[in-house]
Amino acid sequence: MNEILRIENLSFVYGKGTPFEKVALDNVSVSFEKGKITGLIGHTGSGKSTLVNLLNGLYKPTDGKVYLDGKDIWENPKEIAKIRYRVGLVMQYPEYQLFDETVRADIGFGPRNLGLTEEEINERVIEAARFAGVGADLLDKSPFELSGGQKRRVAIAGIIAMRPDVLVLDEPAAGLDPRGRREILGSLRDYVNQVGASVILVSHSMEDMAHYCDNVVVMNSAKVYRTGTVKSIFSEAESLISVGLDVPMISRVADELRRRGIDLQGELYTVDGVKSAILRYVKEVRK
Amino acid sequence: MISDITLGQFFPGFSPIHKLDPRTKIILATLFIVAIFVANNAVGFALMAMFTLVLIALSRISFKVILKSIKPIVFILLFTAIINVFITKGDGAPLLSFWIIEIYEEGIARAIMMALRVIILIVGTSVLLTYTTSPISLTDGLESLLSPLKKIKVPVHTFAMMMSIALRFIPTLIEETEKIMNAQKSRGADFTSGSLVQRAKALIPLLVPLFVSSFKRAEELATAMECRCYRGDKNRTKLVKLEYKARDFVFMALLVLLLVSVICLSTLPYNYPSFGFIYDLMFYKV
Repeated sequence: MNEILRIENLSFVYGKGTPFEKVALDNVSVSFEKGKITGLIGHTGSGKSTLVNLLNGLYKPTDGKVYLDGKDIWENPKEIAKIRYRVGLVMQYPEYQLFDETVRADIGFGPRNLGLTEEEINERVIEAARFAGVGADLLDKSPFELSGGQKRRVAIAGIIAMRPDVLVLDEPAAGLDPRGRREILGSLRDYVNQVGASVILVSHSMEDMAHYCDNVVVMNSAKVYRTGTVKSIFSEAESLISVGLDVPMISRVADELRRRGIDLQGELYTVDGVKSAILRYVKEVRK
Repeated sequence: MISDITLGQFFPGFSPIHKLDPRTKIILATLFIVAIFVANNAVGFALMAMFTLVLIALSRISFKVILKSIKPIVFILLFTAIINVFITKGDGAPLLSFWIIEIYEEGIARAIMMALRVIILIVGTSVLLTYTTSPISLTDGLESLLSPLKKIKVPVHTFAMMMSIALRFIPTLIEETEKIMNAQKSRGADFTSGSLVQRAKALIPLLVPLFVSSFKRAEELATAMECRCYRGDKNRTKLVKLEYKARDFVFMALLVLLLVSVICLSTLPYNYPSFGFIYDLMFYKV
């Protein structure tokens, strides 16, 4: 497997040595594949967001290592800012970080910090706006007059504009309507395909995972519970349910059908997959 | 992390001090402050220090916490003490003199007294108020104490409400600052290096979102309050009514006694030739 990010025996404790000490990650090891979209799922408080903050060096691990392209990111703590350009993190509700006078300047904040020329900055702003679905007509508006969904896209474009090798998104679709959701998550695949970057997507929604991801990492109470391809993870519905997570709604339908003796085959975790499986089954029965 | 900062922290508990009425505590703290500024000799200070120790013991707040509350002012204490030692001029001959520096016994006495005064002041008031009183009951007490001012149309309730809202949002703002800081760091913002101008400029991406969200939050809070028909204190009743208990009167009497004795002590004449060195030391006036 061609890996881009790898973490080894990573632990993180909040408020170490105080009465409020809390273990957020407990000896976690996992790796993320290059050029793929990896989903990170788990309950609230399972350590997803902490893990994400450790990946780009915002938090320093209590114990363990994070390797980017085989190099320990904390090898030289003074250079940690450079890691943040290579691992771009879109935080939860990123629209709160917008500050500049125009959308163009705001998206250009990251590239400007990189020390690029105005020409390059402009080029990157336009490219990032295109990936994130920010219309060209919005670029000269103030970010504060946009709608919630548009602001979210501008914030995501702000990270994409740094052209990170790994794009990490923490619940990028939370609180958006279904269409905004589809547009934002759908554009991730284009980004991976055209730039050759890798994406790590944190989400609660099993449907999103099934739809947009290649691999899945399941977290449960500060540990990694399962890792694997979407197919292998969602075929173990029982084990997901046992840690309080759900499988996509359509998987339950497929499971129920199978239990009643209808032998479905194929990708049984997306609506399209189940649809074609049922059609195949019906054809076979007719024969 | 920023959230490690403690701001006049409240330690919940059930000690006699915790149980005092907040109004009593505000009155006590005022009397205490007056007393510490009246005290001007060793006996007076000893009395104040003893009283403070009794307060600490009664409040059951650990000594470690008390020491921690002094830590941030150690520098100021040392600084004023040194200035006092060097600047104060006395009547007698200097104890020490070299180059342009002359140290008099008055200077040393004054430095010690000033330091003691500040330490007792801070420890006493924090044990009486901030450590043992929740912000909510503190503002309640303040509102009730200031309520006579309503007669002359001072919006006391509004002020108290403003104060409790401000206190309530300190932790929220700290959390928010940290979040936005991390978000901007993820975009390559650098808050810790560069020249002063550069650093001031680096704060813009932090301050603008912070202001925007604060205004938004204020508006949301106002709407939420209006939805619940908030109209200030008009016809408003309270779940917990403030009531003076026997305990409150005991403490107030104690503090009045303390204040009176400190005042008496402070008027005692110094330098009775016949009473000797120990007397001099005890009632040396600063």
